[in-house]
Amino acid sequence: MPQVKIIAKNFMDMVASLPAMKLDKLYDNAFICEAILRSLPPLAKKYVLQMLYIDVPVSAKSMQEWVLADGFSKHNVAIDRLIQLRLFTEAVDRKKETTYRLNPTFQINLQKHIIHGGVLPREPMPSNITVRLPSLEDLDAYAAEQWECFLLHLISSSTQGEKTTNFSSSLMKIFQRGLLSQRDKEPPKLTESGFQFLLMDTNAQLWYIIREYITNSEERGLDSADLISFMLELSFHVTGEAYNMNTLTDSQRNVIKDLADLGLVKLQQGRKESWFIPTKLATNLSISLSDTASRKLGFVVVETNFRVYAYSTSKLHCEILRLFSRVEYQLPNLIVAAITKENLYNAFENGIMAEQIISFLQQNAHPRVAERVPSVPENVTDQIRLWESDMNRVEITPAHFYDEFPTREVFDAACDFAREYGGLLWEDSKTMRLVVKAEILMHMRDFLRREKQ
Amino acid sequence: MTPVTQKLYTDDVSLLMVLLDTNPFFWSTSKSTSLSFSNFISHVLAFLNSVLLLNQFNQVVVIATGFNTCDYVYDSSSSPTNQRAETLLRKFEEFVVKDEQLSKEDSVDGIGNSLLSGSLSMALCYIQRVFRSGSLHPQPRILCLHGSPDGPGQYVAVMNAIFSAQRSMVPIDSCVLGVQHSAFLQQASYITGGVYLKPQQLDGLFQYLSTVFGTDLHSRRFLQLPKPVGVDFRASCFCHKNTIDMGYICSVCLSIFCKHHKKCSTCGSVFGQAQTNAPSTSNQKRKTADT
Amino acid sequence: MNNFEYREINNGDGRRLNREAEEEEEDDEEDDEGNGRGLDAWERAYADDRSWEALQEDESGLLRPIDNKTLYHAQYRRRLRSLSSSSTGSRIQKGLIRYLYIVVDLSRAAAEMDFKPSRMVVVAKQIEAFIREFFDQNPLSQIGLVTIKDGVAQCLTDLGGSPESHVKALMGKLECSGDSSLQNALDLVHDYLCQIPSYGHREVLFLYSALSTCDPGDIMETIQKCKKSKIRCSVIGLSAEIFICKYLCQETGGSYSIALDESHLKDLVLEHAPPPPAIAEFAIANLIKMGFPQRAAEGVISICSCHKEAKVGGGYTCPRCKARVCELPTECRICGLTLVSSPHLARSFHHLFPITPFDDVSPSTLSKNPHHKLPKNCFGCQQSLRDPGNKPCPCVVCPKCKQHFCLDCDIYIHESLHNCPGCESFSQSKSVSGTMEE
Repeated sequence: MPQVKIIAKNFMDMVASLPAMKLDKLYDNAFICEAILRSLPPLAKKYVLQMLYIDVPVSAKSMQEWVLADGFSKHNVAIDRLIQLRLFTEAVDRKKETTYRLNPTFQINLQKHIIHGGVLPREPMPSNITVRLPSLEDLDAYAAEQWECFLLHLISSSTQGEKTTNFSSSLMKIFQRGLLSQRDKEPPKLTESGFQFLLMDTNAQLWYIIREYITNSEERGLDSADLISFMLELSFHVTGEAYNMNTLTDSQRNVIKDLADLGLVKLQQGRKESWFIPTKLATNLSISLSDTASRKLGFVVVETNFRVYAYSTSKLHCEILRLFSRVEYQLPNLIVAAITKENLYNAFENGIMAEQIISFLQQNAHPRVAERVPSVPENVTDQIRLWESDMNRVEITPAHFYDEFPTREVFDAACDFAREYGGLLWEDSKTMRLVVKAEILMHMRDFLRREKQ
Repeated sequence: MTPVTQKLYTDDVSLLMVLLDTNPFFWSTSKSTSLSFSNFISHVLAFLNSVLLLNQFNQVVVIATGFNTCDYVYDSSSSPTNQRAETLLRKFEEFVVKDEQLSKEDSVDGIGNSLLSGSLSMALCYIQRVFRSGSLHPQPRILCLHGSPDGPGQYVAVMNAIFSAQRSMVPIDSCVLGVQHSAFLQQASYITGGVYLKPQQLDGLFQYLSTVFGTDLHSRRFLQLPKPVGVDFRASCFCHKNTIDMGYICSVCLSIFCKHHKKCSTCGSVFGQAQTNAPSTSNQKRKTADT
Repeated sequence: MNNFEYREINNGDGRRLNREAEEEEEDDEEDDEGNGRGLDAWERAYADDRSWEALQEDESGLLRPIDNKTLYHAQYRRRLRSLSSSSTGSRIQKGLIRYLYIVVDLSRAAAEMDFKPSRMVVVAKQIEAFIREFFDQNPLSQIGLVTIKDGVAQCLTDLGGSPESHVKALMGKLECSGDSSLQNALDLVHDYLCQIPSYGHREVLFLYSALSTCDPGDIMETIQKCKKSKIRCSVIGLSAEIFICKYLCQETGGSYSIALDESHLKDLVLEHAPPPPAIAEFAIANLIKMGFPQRAAEGVISICSCHKEAKVGGGYTCPRCKARVCELPTECRICGLTLVSSPHLARSFHHLFPITPFDDVSPSTLSKNPHHKLPKNCFGCQQSLRDPGNKPCPCVVCPKCKQHFCLDCDIYIHESLHNCPGCESFSQSKSVSGTMEE
């Protein structure tokens, strides 16, 4: 969802913006190398692979020769990305030609990977110690529940007490910053970006939270580079396997408790040892690194009569639907809602755009309608867009109205003056009437006073 | 490995079907190649690792093309990520032993040819299954690492497979390890829009593989890839299985013969130049001959 | 991925069980899980107004939706068997070099709306699909298009081998008016088809919307003329059977059929794509000497013999005189050898060496014969042949190599691949195919 403002800052941008020292340190970890390679645009991946066994700098010119004429924009994007992430070091050789070479640490790590194949970050615990491991379905359910609980908690800080999370209220405040706005004594309200946040898919939401978590880690005495590498490492664990807590450092152990609240891992206690089990949310972390259009099994069916059927038990989904539709009734596993003009106007006022609603409906389309083209009936999408343009039909501009000019000269001069300032909205020379924008009122007043003298 | 409920695919996600030529007669003849089999396998393993490294949804399936049989050796979607090499090598060894047992029955002269048509057919069946699995699937392509000379006896079968691949838009890449160019693979790559390459220096096989054949279908639109150095369009005749560049075609069934025959061995038509009432008589002749 | 397929199998199997009225509950449960392909009738898009035709009655008198997947497979098996039975015994003799005129009726009747949006549009769509399929199956064959409008037959495209040009010409001329004239069309086509080489097969395919023909002379004479010239005329009607069409087809050895709806029309049209075996008797068999030129390397400069100018890249070299030509198929300007591209020929080889139909392995025969061990996976695609309950799924076995295949592979192998992966991957099969070709 590129149109969503708060996602514009990509996670990899954050990695790229780390200071050079830290970035270079990150590449010591083989998993980070792998994750970062996978996040690159396809052409950049190709270049890395091609340069993997080349130890001398390669000139920019010879690299351009690999590309066809219509691929140059892609080529430049790829090279920029590689330099930004410090995977390529740019240099100018004696013949004044730009050359590139691969980051040596990164190169060695990848070479190792290619020879030895994939390795796991840590060995899973033997199954004789870890009895009663949850099944994959249970784990998914657990992750979804945790995440939803967290989200509900996040958007409605007033309804506390249901299930408290480990997060300190200050941390929660950080997450809520930008998503909620609170005026004195009033219950907090979702802001524009808060609404947009809710309409994003889980992976994007997760990354938003993780990003906030990481950027604020320094305040809590954690190194952001360490945190990033731990997160990425976590994503290479196998879902559903148990890993011993003893293999973690102290700070990591603290972090993992927070992650358990987000549903990234499930913590379990054995007789002697304790362990964590990564869920799918955790292993998908490195996947969402790349800017891919993500898909998951949807639950929404939209009919041509503006009815919305959502096969979901989630309270959160209900809340989201409520943002732009009227929930009519709720069955244990089904929410029936109707998209109405009133609700949509409401949504538009809250800063949600028609395209966001439509893309939410499309991305969460139930698998049975998702294969259809279009997955949301055209008359519904058209109507939503029309209603949005309805809102924009009348544009209100604060203005001032002038009348009864003494002479035509003064009137004309005033018109010219207003036009110069770009504040002229309407003029009628016959009756000598003039409407100007409110912003230029002060200038207008000064001008007229001067004219009078 | 791939999560079922959350399939996330970009343009560059590929399914790579690798067909490995394991013809023992080819690899044991030092004249035919400068590369030893174990070196070859280590190059290929590194290449497979690099393909799987590029994207977590990339899938690699290896089919061994033997002298007597073909079989699936490795499928990255059903094997754990660690011990990739071990699994592959173990299965590979089993395959080679099985292939050898089958070959004891008849002795061969020369290098002989491996069963390209069989492994191509299997790969295409597998790809069809991936197509059936839903609208979101990795983009499939086939890579033939082939060394043995073409088996003219497989001509029809290989061509059938090529056309089927073309119909389902699956490119067949081919990397020829032998001394001679392969007319089959040249045609396969030309017709299906794949890349045909005969590496000059086999020591650097990995670099060839990763530079040329590691390119996903999306990036191929932007990159310079080797252009075909001519395509050998010769056909095999049906009568002696010779590869010919000129021959006779039966007008009824389009069978190819290297010499002029009186009667078509495929469809039974009798050929003649000046037969005014030919159709009925030739037909009767055919019927009596059959009964 | 695997999971998805499991479900599908599961689903299909569940239904089959249901037919035997054994486990009804299981079926319901699995329908909920199904992933979109096994939609219930009420969930499907409202596509046609004959939804009652998708129902059937089971033994106990309950109405059941027709199980499409099993039905489809059964249908396909029937078709396959009928094909193979017709070709067994005698050797396949098919006319692969065909010269076909497609006559499209664009009279007033083609504007009728009983096919949606109109007969004309539906016919054009089917012809487009047909043309592509035709060239895929009949290399070296040619098609021409003729339209009938205002009682006059008009040649839209001359005989040619490029699907694109035909499709483009047809799509640009979709207007209808006036009456239809069978005789005028026949006369026109007859004149054109008389000029083709003797080994080619002459065919006409009418797509006839009108219920009458408005002719200038005696149509019976024209029909006799066509019969004499060995032009095989087939008609696909869009409204009702007409005597004159039936007579025409009977006399000239063609087929006459009436389309019930769009999908039926599609089937009927596509039936004309594979070369019909009978027409082999119409043409004189001949051996034609041909060359298979090699394609030159990209970026090589040489002078081509057809345009007499230097060209870069591409091009083919005549094997006899080494002259260079730009395109195939053609005749060498220097030595006169017919040059074709061998892959072009090879497209039709599967007609010559069809693979035998596979035998059904039903679960019932398996249970009776426990010694018959069923492999775990389909030989072709490695899909599991067991459903989640470890019960064997329906599958097929190749009578030659005794390998098992899943139903999907069965269809793919016979419809598109035309190779049995099992037979191809055992060296013994070489001798088998050898005997077939001797």
